[in-house]
Amino acid sequence: MKRSVKALTLGLALVASTASAQTTVTFWTWYLSPKFDGYIKDTISAFEKANPGIKVQWFDKQDSMVQDFIASVNLGSAPDVVNLNIDETQKAAQNGFLTAVNSLTSPATLRSTFYPQSLSNFTSGANTYAYPWYGWLNEGVLLYNPELFKKAGLTRAPRTASEMLTYAKTIKDKTGAYAWVPALKDPNTASFLGYFYAEGLPVTDASGKAAFNTPAHASLLAQYVTLYRGGYVPEDAVRREAFQLATELYAQNRVAMIIGGPQALTRIKDTNPGLYAKTVVTQAPLGKAGVQTGGSMGLVIPKASRNPQAAAKLAAFFTNNANQLAFARVVPVVPTTKGAQTSTQFKTTGSDPVARATALVGASGRLINPGYRAPGNSDDLYKNFNDNIEAALLGKKTAQQALADAATYWNANLKK
Amino acid sequence: MQVHWRQSLMSYTFLAPALILLAVFTFYPLLYGAYLGFTEYSGARFANHLPPQWVGLKNFETVLGDPLFRTALANSVKYLLVVPALQLASLAVAVLVAKNIPGIALFRAAYYVPVITSVSLAAVMWEWVFNREGTLNWLLRALHLTTPEAAFGWLNSEQWAFWAVMLVTFWRGFGYYMVLYLAGLQAIPEELEEAAILDGASAWQRFWRVTVPLMRPTILLCTLLSTIAALRVLEEVLVLTNGGPLNSTYTALMYVYAKAFQGFDFDYGVASAAGLVVALVALLLSALNFRFFHREEQA
Repeated sequence: MKRSVKALTLGLALVASTASAQTTVTFWTWYLSPKFDGYIKDTISAFEKANPGIKVQWFDKQDSMVQDFIASVNLGSAPDVVNLNIDETQKAAQNGFLTAVNSLTSPATLRSTFYPQSLSNFTSGANTYAYPWYGWLNEGVLLYNPELFKKAGLTRAPRTASEMLTYAKTIKDKTGAYAWVPALKDPNTASFLGYFYAEGLPVTDASGKAAFNTPAHASLLAQYVTLYRGGYVPEDAVRREAFQLATELYAQNRVAMIIGGPQALTRIKDTNPGLYAKTVVTQAPLGKAGVQTGGSMGLVIPKASRNPQAAAKLAAFFTNNANQLAFARVVPVVPTTKGAQTSTQFKTTGSDPVARATALVGASGRLINPGYRAPGNSDDLYKNFNDNIEAALLGKKTAQQALADAATYWNANLKK
Repeated sequence: MQVHWRQSLMSYTFLAPALILLAVFTFYPLLYGAYLGFTEYSGARFANHLPPQWVGLKNFETVLGDPLFRTALANSVKYLLVVPALQLASLAVAVLVAKNIPGIALFRAAYYVPVITSVSLAAVMWEWVFNREGTLNWLLRALHLTTPEAAFGWLNSEQWAFWAVMLVTFWRGFGYYMVLYLAGLQAIPEELEEAAILDGASAWQRFWRVTVPLMRPTILLCTLLSTIAALRVLEEVLVLTNGGPLNSTYTALMYVYAKAFQGFDFDYGVASAAGLVVALVALLLSALNFRFFHREEQA
């Protein structure tokens, strides 16, 4: 009897100690549920199996991600791992919301896992603030509707950015469809800065001051103004996000090309399967600088996290090479891990447009670069920049005047 | 005396739950928000758990010195033009649907549908109406008022986007005010109308001499509510134009929203100061409304 009481006591003590050693990590993803529930849940299960002392509570946040993040910090219930993009990570880091991940994972490990540019995208000052996760390339692939090309008398895809501008006129004049939807002023960012970067024109100087008001910058903007005012760009491009608009109009045969990642194809497959099957996938043209622009997601650890060590383990697990490659098998994203470059996963290709597009860009994560870094006070600076781009497009200012005004505002309101 | 005290205690006991809820969810946020307008409370302070720092009127100087806020406030004041249109139309339709004729309940319900329709859904629908290939341009072409070449997207036009968004506000608010007017109309004793008929008053005279005077409290309430709602317009602007083109639809509440909630660069101090300025304008306009209706009543 005594022995069984002892055994019971020991058992209870063991259970109690296991329970007290259990750490719960709260994990927030951004717009991944319900489509990727399977992948996320499987990865969490694998993590929990490998780390028996850690339990993961997963929530998917959507439109209110940033507001929920801020509110949770205020309420003292901050999540431990949060999925943010490059821009929001920079803003959160500048305002002191995040823990530097190089204080949780050795810089050598980070450098051996991720591409240098991927880490640089999430670096502010001397610290890196996110484990780079899945990415995309803005000029990753070019998708085109061969029937509209045939109607326009075109036999191949454009090879340079300047050829794109010529195609814009040819396609519209001969078919009535728009050639493509340039990202003139996507909301909450300053997408036109990406065009400067692609053409090898500086966006800021070393001190972060605006450097986008030279005649060369104005000349590039003027080319887009001419296209817009000539009716060669959908007028909604000043009001709506280019990617959304492009996928919508492409599926309706009203846009001939989409420049972007393979993810556009998954939408077209849903909305117009016939056109999807016909879509030709090829290399996208690059600007004079020969560089790609793109973005990626990262996993950040809030400063207010109560379990930063366990959180770092989870973030590192989700962003490791094997798990990023596994995610790229579920959805055509671009891994940001060095190992993806040598993976055989992106060497095989088939006739399916998504497979072809993934093969083209999957191993190119090293090229992911937004082309500009979120400045301090970026919300105000981006709004003013976009307002000036819009003023030029609508003929209220010359391209030079618009950029000069944007640069003046930028330099006067930039927070260090 | 003791009975009176007991009655008071009883009344306050019954009122307590509502008063506590009001204090926690209305008065405290209101007073704290007003206090924040006089402090520096940016994202950086917030993230580092530093309390708001008193800066006096600095935020008001920032807000009133910002050309974007002045444009936004001017747009919000201009938005008040929707108020008389909305009130006249909803009162007129309320009079029409107040009649007990077969099937009228269906009309009443139909007019109320926009009130309960989500703004995102409404935005998708109105996009179809206002875009270049949309219903509005189709209608104008059918009436030979425009040509395909002259068609444009209404939400992309600096001249028209404002009015297009205002139409959506009108559409969303119309049913709500109509129901309020309907309730007011149904409270008017039928004998008064019958007496006016016996006196030989025409329908128009009955409306102006009997209905409108008796509806004055409802008209005041509806005008006040719609004035405040017009000054606080945000949702439809956000989803339809995001303030563009060229800030022609950028409203004061959008400014407050952007400063407070758009990202990690938030500034609760500036946002609260801007909110207080809007509240002050709303208060002034409410006082004007009261004064106008009070004078009418005395006359």
